[in-house]
Amino acid sequence: MNSKRNKALKSLTGRSEASTLLILIIMIIIVACLQKGFFKWSTMDGYLNAFFPLIILAMGQGIVIIAGGLDMSCGTAMAMVLCVMTKIMNPNVSSSGVTALLVGLGVALLTGIVNGIVVGYLRLPPVIATYATSYVWLGIALFVTPTPGGQMTSWFKGFYDLRKIGFNASSKQVMPTALIWLLIACIIWAVVRRTKTGRYIYAVGSHNDNSYASGINTAKIQLRAYLLNSIFIYIVAVFNAAQNGSGSAHMGDTLTLQVIAAAIVGGIAMTGGKGNVYAAIAGALIMSFVSKIIYFAGITSAYQTLVSGLIIIAAIASSILYSVRQKKALLKGVSE
Amino acid sequence: MAILTATGIQKNFGGVVALKNANLSCEKGKITGLLGTNGSGKSTLSKIITGVFSKDAGTIVYDGKEVEYRNPHEAKMNGISMVFQNLSLIPDLNVWQNIIFGVEDKKGIFLDNAKAIALSHEILDDLMPGIDVNQKVCNLNPGEQQITEIAKAIAVNPKILILDEPTAALEKEEVENLFRYMHKLAGKGVAMIFTSHRLWEVMEICDNVVVFRNGVNVGEMDFEKDKRDVDAIVRMITGEAAGVHVTKEYHPLSEDTMLEVSGLNYGKYLRDIGFTVKKGEVLGIGGLAGQGQNELMLALAGNYPEADGDVNIAGTKIKPNRPGNAVQNGMLFVPGDRQREGIFANNSIYYNMIFPKLGLRKQPFFTPTKKYRKEAEEICDALSVRMRNIDQELYSLSGGNQQKIVVGKWLSFDINVLLLDDPAKGVDVAAKRDLYSFIMKMVKEKDMSVILYASDNDELISYCDRLLIMYEGKIVSELKGNEIHDDSIVACSMCVNSGEGSVDEQQAE
Repeated sequence: MNSKRNKALKSLTGRSEASTLLILIIMIIIVACLQKGFFKWSTMDGYLNAFFPLIILAMGQGIVIIAGGLDMSCGTAMAMVLCVMTKIMNPNVSSSGVTALLVGLGVALLTGIVNGIVVGYLRLPPVIATYATSYVWLGIALFVTPTPGGQMTSWFKGFYDLRKIGFNASSKQVMPTALIWLLIACIIWAVVRRTKTGRYIYAVGSHNDNSYASGINTAKIQLRAYLLNSIFIYIVAVFNAAQNGSGSAHMGDTLTLQVIAAAIVGGIAMTGGKGNVYAAIAGALIMSFVSKIIYFAGITSAYQTLVSGLIIIAAIASSILYSVRQKKALLKGVSE
Repeated sequence: MAILTATGIQKNFGGVVALKNANLSCEKGKITGLLGTNGSGKSTLSKIITGVFSKDAGTIVYDGKEVEYRNPHEAKMNGISMVFQNLSLIPDLNVWQNIIFGVEDKKGIFLDNAKAIALSHEILDDLMPGIDVNQKVCNLNPGEQQITEIAKAIAVNPKILILDEPTAALEKEEVENLFRYMHKLAGKGVAMIFTSHRLWEVMEICDNVVVFRNGVNVGEMDFEKDKRDVDAIVRMITGEAAGVHVTKEYHPLSEDTMLEVSGLNYGKYLRDIGFTVKKGEVLGIGGLAGQGQNELMLALAGNYPEADGDVNIAGTKIKPNRPGNAVQNGMLFVPGDRQREGIFANNSIYYNMIFPKLGLRKQPFFTPTKKYRKEAEEICDALSVRMRNIDQELYSLSGGNQQKIVVGKWLSFDINVLLLDDPAKGVDVAAKRDLYSFIMKMVKEKDMSVILYASDNDELISYCDRLLIMYEGKIVSELKGNEIHDDSIVACSMCVNSGEGSVDEQQAE
């Protein structure tokens, strides 16, 4: 009995996600202490809407990193899809919203296909390749929307807040719309993870050559990972379009590195093959709460960047120390 | 009735002949053993059958049809499954996920995990009872990983199972379980091809053996008819008229000890290694490939922080856990894998030659370019490197000439001990001769000692004063002067004589 509990404890603390979760809980406690009314629906709703892009993009980024890739273009890709959609929509023509949704999806998937081909089939280093494509997306976004602007059909608002289109409008206890999106994102990954593609995404990231030798089309799997990522990018673009009713080409510029950092803080290893996509949500929340804590603690925002940098270093160091310890333990086991 | 027949298989790698005329046939329910020294072609033949390499000539008939697979996966899908020496597992997937990797069953759109786990249990309950199938493969020890690899090959219900050195990483009990399982598979009509460097294993498990030497099969033995005669097989492996014996005097060396190693341990790769090297002596390290020779060289050079032991170079005691310790005391390492460890391919010859100097203490602030260029040119001359000038980029040289640079760059140093890890690998005969004659000249002039590991026994025979044979991480025998010849090396390598290591294992059988 005791050994069983020890084993359960070991499997919990032995996971790299455990430290992420611990940091997140501590942060939530700190924020809840600093801010009155943290547990109110309206506060939660506000936080969720503010953190939403980072959370969803970090999930998509997580999938790509697990597959042995990296997406340096997710921020500008999101901005491009956003710009294209707000450009197409016309407040006077209700059906233009549908056109925008479909074209937006097509553009998003195209970014995934291009990144997937460049990294998977052409075998260019993902960092450089997607850094290059990020400028292509930015260029297209600037071409479509040279200055921030755009429009939206009225029913499109529902993607940001269902109450705006009369759904359960009177109630204040409505489920935050962002939470529904988050649920959809989680379901997408939950389904994919249980298919061959899901298994192979981990395998290809873990050992590309051995996967190939076992008959796996590794390039196709990496392409699929980028495609999944582009669906998550699309979700964020739709949400942002509904929220703002306009687009800006530079909207995603600072987002990309935060997204990658969130995925890593969530315990997803840059080397590929290791990590939990849901833990990226925790990583994104940690990244977001850092600024809140500093804000509520009354520290000047100048320190915010410094502290978030330190937290990322600490998180990465903890995951590396973990793998070093594992390696040592393995060697010890061998000599016994 | 043979299920698989390979006839007249030929294979060249570059200019090197790996297989000249290899023939093999195996039958349903029979275990065929492949024997031979390193580079005799037994592994190459297995890899040609499963499509890792393509053959240059010859035919393979399987199940009545001539076949030629493009990759091991295609062979596996057609019923020829191979267990590789370098594992093909995915480190971050767990055991049962690896066992069915690439051939997963689906239930609807989802993976059928329950079936996969049940199948894994079915195989592993016999092969390795008690292994946790939910454990990630990267957390397993090498033996468990090997068993997982074997289970992966078995999981597809192959008609032919090829096991290439499957027992090297296994403990005795695991080997017994494996053999029991192989008998069970044989009962089901699976044909098996088995290679192992442990001769007694082959004698025990196989129904018949085929012996390879220099890419040709030189003999076979069917144990249903013939007696299990170890001596006869060793004679077949080494060849009756085993080459020309080089007669060499074990000339007395200086009495000064240059290097003393004791109690050197590194995981299971090195077990309590101890030896001494005299000044001006060339000490060879031999044995079958992968018995810890590479690890010994790397450990002495300080590449394993976890290695433990005492090393004494010319009176200075050091710990073998940092490369700096070795280099500062004049023990220099020339790596075997030049592509990965030894060269800056995109830089000039000159740059490659002076690079190690720049890390030395007491370097002048400004690099004395003229002096170093002259030194570099002299060494290139002495080694007769074929080049335009020393500013040529290294990748533009042939492999043999690159190797000369890798060795040559150390030779302008004050060396006490030179560690050579297969210095002439992939080098043609003429370049090999240049390289060794230069090294031997250096040994005489500078009174340094050399520890030489070579995968080619001829090199050991020609240049070593003394030879240590390693087997499973231990030094099992020592040969001196004219005791060093092909027969004795092969016999000691396989522990046929009364070496230490496997004798108890042999007797236990």
